[in-house]
Amino acid sequence: MKILLVGMNHESAPVEVRERFAVDDPGALLAKLVAYDEIDEAVVVSTCNRVELCVTTHQPSSAQHTLMRCFAGDEDSTYLHSGRAAVAHVLRVASSIDSMIVGEPQILGQMKDAYRSAVEHDACGPVLSRLFQRAFATAKRVKNETGIAQRPVSVARVAVDLARQIFERFEDKKALLVGAGEMIELALDALQHAGLEQVRIANRTVANAEELAARFGASAHGLDELDTLLGEVDVVLTSIGGEGRLIDAERVKRVLARRRRRPLFFIDIGVPRNVDPDVDRLDNAYLYDVDDLEQVSQRNAEERRREAQRAEGIVAEEEQRFDGWLVALEAVPTIRHLRSSAERMRVAELERTLARLGADVSDGDREALDQLTKSIVNKLLHSPVARLRAETDREEGIAMLEAARTLFGLDDPPPDEPDR
Amino acid sequence: MIELHQIAAALYLAAGIGSLLGLLLPDTRVSRGGAWGLGLAACVHAAAFATLHELDPAPPLTDLAIVLSMSAWMAVLFVLALMWRLRIVGLAAAVGPFAFLAVFVAALQLQGAAISAAPVSGTWPHAHVLLAAAGFALLGTAGLAGAFFLLEHKRIKAKRGPAQGAVLPSLEALDRVNEVALAVGFTLLSLGVLTGMAWQQNALGTLWSGGTHETWMVVAWSIYGGLVVVRFAGRQGGRQAAASALAGFLFLMFAVIGVGLWA
Repeated sequence: MKILLVGMNHESAPVEVRERFAVDDPGALLAKLVAYDEIDEAVVVSTCNRVELCVTTHQPSSAQHTLMRCFAGDEDSTYLHSGRAAVAHVLRVASSIDSMIVGEPQILGQMKDAYRSAVEHDACGPVLSRLFQRAFATAKRVKNETGIAQRPVSVARVAVDLARQIFERFEDKKALLVGAGEMIELALDALQHAGLEQVRIANRTVANAEELAARFGASAHGLDELDTLLGEVDVVLTSIGGEGRLIDAERVKRVLARRRRRPLFFIDIGVPRNVDPDVDRLDNAYLYDVDDLEQVSQRNAEERRREAQRAEGIVAEEEQRFDGWLVALEAVPTIRHLRSSAERMRVAELERTLARLGADVSDGDREALDQLTKSIVNKLLHSPVARLRAETDREEGIAMLEAARTLFGLDDPPPDEPDR
Repeated sequence: MIELHQIAAALYLAAGIGSLLGLLLPDTRVSRGGAWGLGLAACVHAAAFATLHELDPAPPLTDLAIVLSMSAWMAVLFVLALMWRLRIVGLAAAVGPFAFLAVFVAALQLQGAAISAAPVSGTWPHAHVLLAAAGFALLGTAGLAGAFFLLEHKRIKAKRGPAQGAVLPSLEALDRVNEVALAVGFTLLSLGVLTGMAWQQNALGTLWSGGTHETWMVVAWSIYGGLVVVRFAGRQGGRQAAASALAGFLFLMFAVIGVGLWA
């Protein structure tokens, strides 16, 4: 039995290739895969950044061709992992080490969905079940034992994180979002996710602000209300085109005088910038522009990559653990096969000998011969079986199993019990 | 009592180092451990005070060492109480070492002379020492919060980004600590000054003896009065308020400890 994984991701294939192989309904593909004789179990992982088919097989070469056919026309954009490399890959993907944004949390949920779908469609057996459970446990360990997911890297989440340095809690704070574009929407989502509920949206075209405000439960305003709004809010996020320096230092100075000691935090993600850089010189005003946010984001991404190195160690440990389980699983049928082959041989040889001796052999002697041959077979098999069992949790276990199969001629499954 | 003071000092130091490590590593769990250590040290410190009257029916309440030790204990209790409501676990990194210094000095039995020449007996000396020590403790906490605020403000303006995993207090939390500590601390200090005068009146028959300690304390009280007015009139930004609280406490330290040692 071998684990194979064929797939493509953001590094091996551009999005226009990946989108052609994206799987909306994994059920049909799973049913098709497990219908092949050479494939025993299958899980299909399809996200915006990767499409991967993970299977177990007893005919690796044939299964590999079958999997490659699923990416017909773009085989060059795929990667193939087999055995331990496939196991390590699944663990790395679940732990978000292999993600475009290292440490992003979505991939774990997507892997769980993929596994659940495979279970629902009866495509997942004991090996892949164990592998994916191990992958989820590994992801949990990586999250808890490293800082891989701690530092935000998206501009919206970095902005929220920066605001936490200034404000103790968001529940009683108010935010003003100037603009109604995509960045504003992302930031609004991040701010509300962090607990900031009281949001005002100001835009040149009030209708656009109203549309966004209706979706997020905010209030909509025109830019002419800016002075009043600045006096009411604590966080100001701007991303509006064509307005230039919408908020200058003098205006903020006047607003701050009205606010007593309450600080005002500006996040300017507009290009060109909407907030005068001199605002940051004012005492109770804090300003981060898009370059500042980008720098923090890059530092955080770099930190995540460093943490990913630590995560690789955890993945290696967990992979070793899974491999031990797999070797133990592989050893059971091999040992059973070895014993049944030896028993068949013993019985055949005993019968042939008894037939040659004819009726002169008493029942007592027959019994003694039976015991003798059993004892010889047991003594001969004791050492190799004990060794195979002892080696099951070691890396060399697989090599030893293969050696045992070759030495004892166990490549074909016994006639009475098909080997899985 | 001395042994308990020494144990409390060691625990304060350990808690301070733990909290500092929590900030530097940064590791939330280590920071929290530091805060728990501070709580444990405060309990041991309380036990040390509990034995005060058992060992001596008339303990030297007005000794500088005792005042310092009591102030450190009250400051720690105040910070621990605020930790329930605010994300200020990081403050333990500053409170711990300060408490250690104060208690260590007390444990060395520093006889920095009594801070008043008046005889120590009755309710007034107790009330004066307790109230003034509590005021000193809270104004000290305001100064520490101010120092933290200035460091945080500088870090945010330098755009270094948040330190993940560290339990650094937010500017809002530090400003709140500063505000509450200043308001309550000044009230307690005022009561301390009033009870001190009542003690003088009771013991020496005069409200004002013109001693060095009294003079400097009244100057310090006046300065704090000015700070409180400016602060609560809303005429200061967060940074100025923080700097004022720090400068005010440095002056108060000089007025209480410096002048006490010098005298």
